[in-house]
Amino acid sequence: MVFIKKKFKWIIVILLSVILITITTSVIIVSQKELPTNDLRIAREALSEAKEAEANLYAEKLYKESVQSYDSAMVNWTKENKRFILFRNYTKVINFAKKSKKKADEAKEESIEKADNLSKNVEAAFVSLSKKIDLYKKLFKNLPLSKSIYDAHNKSKKFLSESKIAHETGKLKDAEILFKKAEIYINHANTAASKMLRDYFNDYPRWRNWANDAIAASKNGSKVILVDKVAHILYVYQSGKVIRSYDVEFGPNWMSHKEHAGDKATPEGNYHISRKKDGGSTTYYKAMLIDYPNADDRARFAQKKKQGLISRRTGIGNLIEIHGNGGRGFDWTSGCVGMRDRDIDDLYRLVVSGTRVTIVGSIAPLSEITKGMDF
Amino acid sequence: MKSKLIIAIAAMGIAVLFSSCAKVPQAEVDAATAAIQEVKDAGADLYVPEAYQALVDSMKSANEKIEVAKAKWFPSYTKAKATLAAVSQMAVDTKAKSEARKVELKAEVEAMIVEVKALVEENKALIAKAPRGKEGREALEAIKSDVAVAETTVTEVEALLANGDLIGSNDKIKAAKEKATSIKAELEEAIAKKGGK
Repeated sequence: MVFIKKKFKWIIVILLSVILITITTSVIIVSQKELPTNDLRIAREALSEAKEAEANLYAEKLYKESVQSYDSAMVNWTKENKRFILFRNYTKVINFAKKSKKKADEAKEESIEKADNLSKNVEAAFVSLSKKIDLYKKLFKNLPLSKSIYDAHNKSKKFLSESKIAHETGKLKDAEILFKKAEIYINHANTAASKMLRDYFNDYPRWRNWANDAIAASKNGSKVILVDKVAHILYVYQSGKVIRSYDVEFGPNWMSHKEHAGDKATPEGNYHISRKKDGGSTTYYKAMLIDYPNADDRARFAQKKKQGLISRRTGIGNLIEIHGNGGRGFDWTSGCVGMRDRDIDDLYRLVVSGTRVTIVGSIAPLSEITKGMDF
Repeated sequence: MKSKLIIAIAAMGIAVLFSSCAKVPQAEVDAATAAIQEVKDAGADLYVPEAYQALVDSMKSANEKIEVAKAKWFPSYTKAKATLAAVSQMAVDTKAKSEARKVELKAEVEAMIVEVKALVEENKALIAKAPRGKEGREALEAIKSDVAVAETTVTEVEALLANGDLIGSNDKIKAAKEKATSIKAELEEAIAKKGGK
């Protein structure tokens, strides 16, 4: 009995010793096993740097891949930690962490490059857009444009300044979106205005003949008035040379030939001063009535009326004058030519009843007006 | 006697091995996660993005510490718990910072709206005094349209502000203020030139 008891004791001792040795060996093995701690930390820091470089915006795909790899590493780490300690294997976790770091580095690099390129592109786009806005200012702003064109131009300017602010504050994506909006609006405005101007200049050959004829008529020493609607200038020619020029204003619908009463258009063609008015005979300080409608105007009016393009009740209109009260800074008359009072004073002294008045859309061809512009 | 001692030590070793496994601080993890979500819902990722990012990074670090602890024979979550406590505190601070930034931004936008409105009115008054003539007329037409744009922007910004879009309204009103200020300078210069003639 004593022998059995002693033997049992020794079995227990040996068994416990084996267990202890196994545990000690396991602890040593486990402590020797590489944990993914450092790799995960490095990946996390790399991701953070990538985010700081706005890789989530400019290198979205790579950044997402990096985030996914980091998440996979964490998921796998948790999974491995659930296994028996001796059977844990962190290779996959480490690989995912390394992949995450690599992708984060690539994302950061790509983001910096893309942001830099985007910044340069947006800056270049600002220049191109500013040119388009300048073109509008120089060429189209004085045209009697529709409200939609005017609004489109204003919206483009608004989006451009917002885009510039976004660019300055480093919000390049926003700057790009705003810039594109600005571009859509300015392109719409400029295209519509360009078409309007081109269509208007279809009459240029006629205007050129009238202008040449008027200038030729002044060569005998008589004074001739030549009005350039696009330039908003009234010239006085004598002996083939300009002896005076004045800024003028027209009706809001000046960019078309007057066809009937109330259309707010200024007629185009050859006319004469039929009467000079001052004092109580005019409400516009001083005025010079011209003999609109002429024979051409009447013929055109009759034809359009016949075609049903002008209603039966509408008249051809009259009382087209060169008058004072102008200098208002916009086209406000009912189709007359408005001048500043001091200018009409001068012109009034200079010309007499019967003086030829030629009104043209433009003396210069469109190519000359748009010279140096990206039209 | 000797063998009894060995048995005792071995038994203690095994007892320690199987009894000392600390539990994952799940309550702290859940609390920190909820706090971060609350901070995000308060718009901290928009209004204080750097502080928010630091918060998210700290949470990641806490999760890593938990896994580090789990990977050990005798897990201890003391470090992870300390980080989680710091995360929860950071969340409170970040939320407060975000709220403060929102209040500040709102005040800035409202002040700028007042400034832009005043500038628009000043510009309108200056337009009336500005020189005309051909060039003056052209410039004035452009300026009038710019003033109209600034006026429209103010209306848009007020609508954005009412919808709580502080960042959008801030960007827009800044652009309008810049435009209105440059218009004013342009008009004042033109008027000064006119006066000097």
